Amino acid sequence: MEVDREDGRSQNQLRPLACSRNILHRAHGSASWSQGDTKVLAAVYGPKAGTKKNENPEKACIEVIWKPKTGQIGKPEKEYEMILKRTLESVCILTVNPNTTTSIIVQVVNDDGALLPSAINAACMALVDAGIPMKHLAVAICCCVAKSGYVILDPTKLEEQKMKAFAYLVFPNSVHSVLPEGSLRVEGEPIENGIITSVTHGIMSVDDYFYCLERGRAASVKLSDFLRRNLQQQSTDSSKAG
Amino acid sequence: MEGRLANSWRLTVNDKNFIKTALLSEIRIDGRKPFEYRKISIKFGREDGSSEVQLGQTRVMGMVTAQLVQPYRDRPKEGILSIFTEFSPMADPSFEPGRPGELAVELGRIIDRGLRESRAVDTESLCILASKFVWAIRIDLHILDNGGNLVDAANIAALAALLTFRRPECSLGGEDGQEVIVHPPEIREPLPLTVHHLPIAISFGFFSNESILVIDPTHNEEAVMGGRMTTTVNANGDICAIQKSGGEGVPQRVIMQCLQLATSKAASITKQIKDAVEVVNTERALRKVKRHPTSTGVDVREKQN
Repeated sequence: MEVDREDGRSQNQLRPLACSRNILHRAHGSASWSQGDTKVLAAVYGPKAGTKKNENPEKACIEVIWKPKTGQIGKPEKEYEMILKRTLESVCILTVNPNTTTSIIVQVVNDDGALLPSAINAACMALVDAGIPMKHLAVAICCCVAKSGYVILDPTKLEEQKMKAFAYLVFPNSVHSVLPEGSLRVEGEPIENGIITSVTHGIMSVDDYFYCLERGRAASVKLSDFLRRNLQQQSTDSSKAG
Repeated sequence: MEGRLANSWRLTVNDKNFIKTALLSEIRIDGRKPFEYRKISIKFGREDGSSEVQLGQTRVMGMVTAQLVQPYRDRPKEGILSIFTEFSPMADPSFEPGRPGELAVELGRIIDRGLRESRAVDTESLCILASKFVWAIRIDLHILDNGGNLVDAANIAALAALLTFRRPECSLGGEDGQEVIVHPPEIREPLPLTVHHLPIAISFGFFSNESILVIDPTHNEEAVMGGRMTTTVNANGDICAIQKSGGEGVPQRVIMQCLQLATSKAASITKQIKDAVEVVNTERALRKVKRHPTSTGVDVREKQN
């Protein structure tokens, strides 16, 4: 079924992606991620000594600060902080640096739809730039369900508002490994089929949700390839001194 | 790894002595001369009123938004201009999230004084209906990277954002002319703000040995210097504001020297800002032309040979 999207994309087409690392000088790691007009800047400081009050000192702690473009910090920003924190906690290896805090600061530069997935992608790239040990990367994507039942990927802000429901999905990135085929599977399924985070808005049927998951998974493979190319290219040009 | 576990950054005694000794021979650690400014790059975002300024390693983002509100009681015919500065924790490991600290407040006040007291932005043109509806312009300054001299960079970001901001056009309507209709940008072209002149902030650092003076200190120099002074001047030679809060005493002739230097630097920075804004405005105008492909066809005359 052919769908007419305003910017001429097809159902499964993502907006142009752009990512650059090491853009800030004081931060230990930084990255800027843009999907079309949505642009997010992430910076990482860490590990710093000590954990926050109610956190487990046997593990490293992750602190997320979300800065909106304008206005006061309210409940939606706190929710984003919590989702980002839990997603990144499951991606980072927390046992390597116990009793430390890693701070991730996310600044929204422009919001044109799919803000939270862009922020998660930017935060992961900033963590890589800072050299924080991680198990794998988190690849985030947004899927929308329209009233007639078709699913579109990576909506703009207008599309998000018009749609019946949308879901932010985060998957682990696809693995290229030298280990034998079967060892990286979890319960018989490859690692990248697992889902780290899922946040939905609006009403969708169970079938629609599974359809979204399938589409999201396929798109996450493309995103993983983009990330891999980006990281390999930049690691050959420059090394971060100190 | 030990260095990164520290929550705050401190300069070692060796580094401090090196900076001071180098300054005795008029050498700064980044290779500049004492009265040389760092390279300024001004970029703009997709929306009207968003700017990003990079001054050497310092990076500041400015965002201007407007809202219709009731004016203050004692100024019923004037609009409202407010500046919010955010020292984002991403700029410096010692910046804490939450309430702005004294540095943030001071920075906000210096920029506010430069814009408001000198009447750089015309607030009377922001009045739509006296005592009922005026535009409240809000400038958000996000400090993204602290490479020293945040005031100057933030000031340039605020000015660049103000010059490219467009507010919606509105007209009075309703039965008795007391209702305000705000026209969306697709129907009526949004209007720019009236900015009379550009107050540019120029900061100086004073060092204790032999009253050495530098312009545009980096964050290493800021950790070493004994006093700082920020002068806000415009290209016409008017002094809009001077801020010197504490620090060591400085003789009068040095202050006069600073003011003269500031005036000459302000002229070149003003030109740079205006050029950058000009480029963006032409780009936006061209983009608008492309959006409406209803232009008439061009007829090509054949040359009759």
